[in-house]
Amino acid sequence: MPSHPDHLAGVWHIRCRDPPIAAGAQACQRRPSLYKNPKGRLLRAMVRDQDDAPTAVPEPEPLIELRGVAKTFGPVKALSGLSARVGRGEFVTVVGPSGCGKSTLFNIVAGLEEPDPGGALRFEGKSCHAAELLGRVSFMPQRDLLLPWRNVIDNATLALEIEGRPRKAARAEALRMLPEFGLAGFEAQYPHQLSGGMRQRVALMRTFLFERDLMLLDEPFGALDALTRTLMQRWLLDVWQRHRRTILFITHDVDEAIFLGDRVLVMTARPGAVKLEQRIDLPRPRRPDLVTAPDFIRLKRTLLEAIEEESLKSFQTAEERTR
Amino acid sequence: MSLVAAAAPAGPRAAGFARRIGVRLATLLAVAFAWEGLVLLLGIRPFYLPRLSAVLAAILATPGAYASGFLRTLTETLIGFVAGGAFGVAVAVAFLRLRTLREMVFPLFVVSQTIPVIAFGALVVLWFGNTLMAKAVIAFYLTFFPVTVNALIGLEAVDPRQIALMRSFGASPRQILLRLQLPSALPQTFVALRLAASLSLVGAIVGEWFGDTTGLGVLLLQAMYTENVVAIWAALLVSAFLGTGFYAAVAFVERRLVFWGAEQ
Repeated sequence: MPSHPDHLAGVWHIRCRDPPIAAGAQACQRRPSLYKNPKGRLLRAMVRDQDDAPTAVPEPEPLIELRGVAKTFGPVKALSGLSARVGRGEFVTVVGPSGCGKSTLFNIVAGLEEPDPGGALRFEGKSCHAAELLGRVSFMPQRDLLLPWRNVIDNATLALEIEGRPRKAARAEALRMLPEFGLAGFEAQYPHQLSGGMRQRVALMRTFLFERDLMLLDEPFGALDALTRTLMQRWLLDVWQRHRRTILFITHDVDEAIFLGDRVLVMTARPGAVKLEQRIDLPRPRRPDLVTAPDFIRLKRTLLEAIEEESLKSFQTAEERTR
Repeated sequence: MSLVAAAAPAGPRAAGFARRIGVRLATLLAVAFAWEGLVLLLGIRPFYLPRLSAVLAAILATPGAYASGFLRTLTETLIGFVAGGAFGVAVAVAFLRLRTLREMVFPLFVVSQTIPVIAFGALVVLWFGNTLMAKAVIAFYLTFFPVTVNALIGLEAVDPRQIALMRSFGASPRQILLRLQLPSALPQTFVALRLAASLSLVGAIVGEWFGDTTGLGVLLLQAMYTENVVAIWAALLVSAFLGTGFYAAVAFVERRLVFWGAEQ
């Protein structure tokens, strides 16, 4: 896997939040990234970073914005008063207790579910109905959902085929992408012949090939073993940094949320809303030993406390209901 | 098993295929010898069970009659099978899309299937005369219902998350049907098609009983009227050959098309 050019660049890490076309004058910024240095210096850099964060980090133009969104299914209030925004090029992770409506949130953003009237949904600065987002967001559900009668390449190009892209061009593009996804030589294999990690990569490739500004990933690594999962996380960051897509990523794993995200949204117990929004100002590219850095632990503690509180709440309501 | 075989080089697969054919031929030969031997050994009278060699000799004595009968019945069976299969799948898709249509028409289908085919056959002959079409219609009548039911089960069993994914790609209902629902329903549909393979032959033969001049059913009926036991067995043997051959062909197509098995 080719390493990110910043690996070679050394101390200064150029961070561009916007894709080149949409980039505003202030969108590109330089910030110190001392990932190669011993922990002491890393910490100092972090502290300074946080101090000037409000002024130095301009809010990126939101690609998608939800304001006061609610969703009820019969007697169940899945979401209520949820507000969130995701900037262009941002990697936002969402964590929360199980059954907090994370998937409902995703279905709304994917265009599959219409929110209750009253809330506002804005995409690329214009308010819109959820249904208008169909075909405009690349969505990857929890399970890989590969079609068993299609081989790797045909599964990966499914979305392109639906778009009406010529088969030949779509295949050529997918073939070029195979090595990056660790699937070189596997193009003619069928899903049942692949391991769980590979199937997931095919699904991710399908999502990446469907080039949309916003990518929704719903616990894509949830079913993988711990080792494969950390490898996949690093790999995803690598691919993300090269392709510069906006990602909204659901997980129930706090480590994963911190390791990947620019920001972590913690959701409340049902009805779901955003309880806490935590900036993750850890330098990129993120290295595996980051998870033991004091800053990481500190963030983790904050987030865990918030999640714990909400988990307890949903546990108690469940108990009350059984009584 | 066929899954791995699909991608593997032809060598082991061809070897496995040859082995299976060999085993089947050996079984067939064993049954043939047992038939011939037991009739001789136990002195069974030809009225109950003629020797296999006598039956085969009867077929070879007038090969033309059996061959034309075989072809005629095969044609009727095939037309009925293809029409019934296509109609069954089409109706299943319509039922999937239109709930009210399904609630209105499905009970009628069930009622239609409770009418004994013999009673229905008389009507068909009245409508279509003693034509090839009349037999094909009876074969069709026996075929379409199981295909409808099974295809519908298959179509409804499609993972809703899979449909949601297709929709998120901006797929139209038609694209979802062609690229997801119909292929997903294939394994279940083939269960019915294998059943329909035997049923369509039954329909064709029963249809011939209402009157015709060629066909395996006609040969069977003539042999019964003349109490020609050897001829009965001969017609039976050719029908069995047609039936198993057709079933095997459908099963072969199934193995090729549904190579991924009943995964998920």
